Amino acid sequence: METDKKEYFRKTLREIKNLPTLPGIVTKLTKMAEDPDTTTEQMGKVISKDHILAAKLLRLVNSAFYGFPQRISSLNSAIILLGFNVIKSLIISASIFEIMEDQDVELWEHSLGCAVVCSVVAKRLGLSDPEEISTAGLIHDIGKVAIKMELPQEYEEINRMVQEEHVSRFTAERKILGLDHAEVGGWLAKRWNLPNKLIEPISCHHDPRLAKNEQLSSAVVHFGNIVIRGMGYCHGDDIWVPPMSQRAYRLLDLSAVDIDEILDEIEDKLWDVKGFSLEIQSEQNAASGEDCPP
Amino acid sequence: MQRILVAGDTILHTPASKLIIEAMGYQIITSSRLQDAVSLILEDPPDLLITEKGFAGGGHDLDLITAAKACLQKANIPILLALNDSELSGVDWDLFPVDDFMIKPVLPEVLLARIELAQSRLIRVFDNNPLSRLPGNTSILRAIQKTIDSEEPHGVCYIDIDNFKPYNDRYGFSRGDEVLLMVARLTVNVVEENARNGSFVGHVGGDDFVFIVREEHIDTVCQRLIANFERVKNMFLSPEDIAAGCFIGEDRQGNRTEFELLSLSVAVVTTAGNKYKHYGEISATASQIKHYTKSLPGSNYVIDRRNP
Repeated sequence: METDKKEYFRKTLREIKNLPTLPGIVTKLTKMAEDPDTTTEQMGKVISKDHILAAKLLRLVNSAFYGFPQRISSLNSAIILLGFNVIKSLIISASIFEIMEDQDVELWEHSLGCAVVCSVVAKRLGLSDPEEISTAGLIHDIGKVAIKMELPQEYEEINRMVQEEHVSRFTAERKILGLDHAEVGGWLAKRWNLPNKLIEPISCHHDPRLAKNEQLSSAVVHFGNIVIRGMGYCHGDDIWVPPMSQRAYRLLDLSAVDIDEILDEIEDKLWDVKGFSLEIQSEQNAASGEDCPP
Repeated sequence: MQRILVAGDTILHTPASKLIIEAMGYQIITSSRLQDAVSLILEDPPDLLITEKGFAGGGHDLDLITAAKACLQKANIPILLALNDSELSGVDWDLFPVDDFMIKPVLPEVLLARIELAQSRLIRVFDNNPLSRLPGNTSILRAIQKTIDSEEPHGVCYIDIDNFKPYNDRYGFSRGDEVLLMVARLTVNVVEENARNGSFVGHVGGDDFVFIVREEHIDTVCQRLIANFERVKNMFLSPEDIAAGCFIGEDRQGNRTEFELLSLSVAVVTTAGNKYKHYGEISATASQIKHYTKSLPGSNYVIDRRNP
């Protein structure tokens, strides 16, 4: 790959401003914001189910303007610090996909599913901050959205290569861009002043050996990403399940019994996720008029 | 003041207006979409906002002004509203928290003068704390006196961060400043969300803050404030200290001492029964209960209901 081209991709991806999210989420939040009885916590709950808005929220609270750069890794803390009116502005300024594709919903469900697995595993391992790891799981694929939005032509080429040559999305991205979505997500997180505790699990979720300081949480996100895919829940527009790092698996040190119990717990929680997803999609259809009775 | 956000299509009615303002060293950013304007205010706030009545369609002018006030509540960025003279009589200024208005069409000289006036007024009323941008002592004393003079009972609440000095010694001043900003934001948000009417938040200095709310809101606001502080504080502590549940530092005499992790003490004096005549009496009562509140472990609030 010519370095010029790679440099161009890097530059384009770094300058990304506003990532779009699902119209259904924004419609729901807009309704909530207009209702005087809605609490900040209730809106926070919905925002923390959306990988794009969650990333936006963290970017805002960690921006120099608010005075907490690289400090805030918790969505709940971000919401408490920013307050209702700023959250409302965040919703007004949110951009949405102009054309919704199944892939966008897939990736959204995958992100949410991964967050569920990360939270279950982190709690099982008795880690000190399961919310933080779950947040890292939620936004781990943010680089995919950036590639789709900023490099649409290359994105189509990647899709084609995944389908035709039966390679993983990761491999296709490296071949076509010389970069991959984990790396891109890591840069964005760094550029947005997110804490290192979130950056490493994002940038190392395909190869947790690369993690320097956050090995355990990177291993959890790596595991979460693969488990949610392996469960056939949703593929995040990547149809091949990537290989599990042996080292990460050993680091987690989960017994067969642990795994069984974890899987049961995840299955239960995924019902809630599926329910929420259906609600959001019906919100979407209602907004676009598709669901209206004739 | 350098960057001015002009949100609306009819404020700079000739290209000359823009040139004249820019020639005076201001940078003008224009926006005619609500989403873009709010985005800019959130992510890259300007130093002054000029918008117009009816911006981006019905009701959205208020959305933008609210967004600016919310985001910049501590930065006091001036907001100027442009409107037609026919719209003037129908404006509820309580609903439109702007600093000044201009009648359209706005002549470039008038626009420039308004911008400069806004700037000089900002400096004149500046008793705000330079870190938190919250109102400082002059405004606090005025707010307390106003509370005493009002018929309705209020709570004057003094916040103090426990073990702030040893925290500063251990983590450094810039981390200490983050904690002060955190407490400032939590307080403003909780007061705004639970007790907007007749309330006030000020920063005495250092780790001392004051807020005033109506008596019926005292418990809710204090409880929420403390709960939020407890949820957020770990973001400002090292994993080692969190695991240990305390940290070792030196007390004011230089002795090695074990300190509890950060907590909040709130001392509340109520004005029920019109027992106070002067703000000095309130702060005297407050310092007594503050002493007691700080002696309790962890985060607490104590309401003084005695008669002086």
